[in-house]
Amino acid sequence: MSKKQAIQEMTNILAVALRHKIGSIVNKEEIYAGKYAKDAEVLLKEAKKMAIKENWNIYDKTKIRQELLKKLKKELQEKNFIDDKKFEIMEIEMEKVLINMELT
Amino acid sequence: MEQKQNIKFIHKVSKGSRFNQIYIPSSMEEFFEVGDLVEIRLVNKKIRVYYSKNTKKLGSFKEKLIQNIFSFLIKFREINQIFIIGSFLTKKEDYNDIDIIIVSEKANEKQIYNDLIKKFELKFHIIILPRDKLNHLLKICPLTRSMFYYFISNMPFEINNGDKLNKSEIDKKHIKFLLMMPEDLLKINLNSRVFYDAIRRLITINRFLENKELNPLEIEAELKELMGDSLFNYIKNNEALEDKIVEKLRNIIKNKLDKINKILKYK
Repeated sequence: MSKKQAIQEMTNILAVALRHKIGSIVNKEEIYAGKYAKDAEVLLKEAKKMAIKENWNIYDKTKIRQELLKKLKKELQEKNFIDDKKFEIMEIEMEKVLINMELT
Repeated sequence: MEQKQNIKFIHKVSKGSRFNQIYIPSSMEEFFEVGDLVEIRLVNKKIRVYYSKNTKKLGSFKEKLIQNIFSFLIKFREINQIFIIGSFLTKKEDYNDIDIIIVSEKANEKQIYNDLIKKFELKFHIIILPRDKLNHLLKICPLTRSMFYYFISNMPFEINNGDKLNKSEIDKKHIKFLLMMPEDLLKINLNSRVFYDAIRRLITINRFLENKELNPLEIEAELKELMGDSLFNYIKNNEALEDKIVEKLRNIIKNKLDKINKILKYK
């Protein structure tokens, strides 16, 4: 898999993972919020597996950030059943994940 | 006065024909006479276990353990009601952990969890939620309703599908939220246990929308029938998935999603 493809696949998974994570935060009164947080963890683990296979340079990291932001916005816009607070915390949660994955 | 306050005895409340009563032991008769003024104080609450109508009577070991858990938890004054749910009530030995739902406005989950582990040295899973939230979820959430198909509580509790109490309602937003992971599995590869949970979730939602019983054992049987014995055991044990199996599982998910979305469209 080329680096370009890897970025596409990894950001696809990360966008979904972040959507679950954000859903669990803004819908925290749900009895299953904890379960969604776990769903997010499973997905993040998968993305991490992909991330460690490559050496990312500064340009790759910028590309990852741009792609992820675009995809995450789209993911959240499509899911209108997740509270609108999702857009307020979107970038903070994205930043946390990128730091955790050493992609900043 | 101080001397009089030290004259005391401990006795159980007994059932009377009209009123419940406390007898004065004969050894105390000279101290407690007709017309004397006394004060009654609760020393220890008798712990009872209330089974939901679908839950079968447990063996004495499990029931005693539940009584001990209740007895331990009611010491937390902020706890209003306790439920034991999950496989501990339905499986003989193949249960994962003891699932506890605590009804409370302000209980501290971390503290309760740590204290429970320290006291019993068992695996617990705890969810704390306020009464109104529980009642709401019992109306709208297929997974919560299924979870409460079998329960044991420290207080009487009833879930009806009749006109009054906890009558189910379809909240499309909530259902869509629940469908998120199964939908994602159509395009993302994850381990087989995630597929197992997702299909189980879909069966539960489908049954809820069709107003069918949400018995977890029947749901598992339906899952087994849908997949066949070998695939069922394979993914339940989180075995690695080959592409062909993933394709088969995705087809099952897709069919169920189509069915659910069709029902939702007309609700």
